Amino acid sequence: MIYLTFSKVYNTFIGLNSVNKENFMNRAQKMSLTLVITISLGLFLGIVLVVMRFFNVGIPKTVFLFPIFFAGSGGIISLIFFRKDKSAITSDERDKLIEKNANLAGFGAVYLFVILASFLPIGIMGQKGSIPVTWCPVLLVGAAFCQAYAQSLAILIQYGWGGGHGKS
Amino acid sequence: MANRELSNNIRRLRFENGEMTQQQLADKVGVTRQTIIAIEAGKYAPSLPLAFRIARVFNVTVEQVFQYSSIGLQGT
Repeated sequence: MIYLTFSKVYNTFIGLNSVNKENFMNRAQKMSLTLVITISLGLFLGIVLVVMRFFNVGIPKTVFLFPIFFAGSGGIISLIFFRKDKSAITSDERDKLIEKNANLAGFGAVYLFVILASFLPIGIMGQKGSIPVTWCPVLLVGAAFCQAYAQSLAILIQYGWGGGHGKS
Repeated sequence: MANRELSNNIRRLRFENGEMTQQQLADKVGVTRQTIIAIEAGKYAPSLPLAFRIARVFNVTVEQVFQYSSIGLQGT
């Protein structure tokens, strides 16, 4: 019941005709859109918290975990609500090609992220500077979100940001 | 994935074959409807096996379904 209601609301939200089921986005598109939305909101929330901390607004450090949970919620939502339809053909050679290109985009994004994470601290703090070791797992989580974000965007762009539009 | 050199007659062939819907064609060749839409619109160039499967559905040759234009290669 909750699943059906959520699906209906979500499909209406993403601007697709809820009457004609064939015009719905496919599973990969829905998952990607969910991830893009949640990671974007998580990133925005993180930036807001960093800015608030910069201006010495009293925020406990544990609050910084909230944007991470928020961004990660996209994956959980996708797994729970967008299940595979085993009764129909849900992927073919085009979907595999899109997935392959998206994986490449994700890999490229992580590569860039690692380059930036390696050189930015030197640029900001200088060669004699030091950073806490707790930054290492943060960078790992950051790289994972970076990969998911780039991959999701690549999927949405390749599908054309829409569902199976067209006339029968 | 877009292929401007490759045009096709799938839409015409579908209507000449009992007004076949995109979903019916997709089911016959084993792909999703989205892929048929992308092929018809020239946004996706199908693999050779898929091109043959589409041609077989309409009982025609691949050349009768897909046309390759060399003009696009010259950029004119």
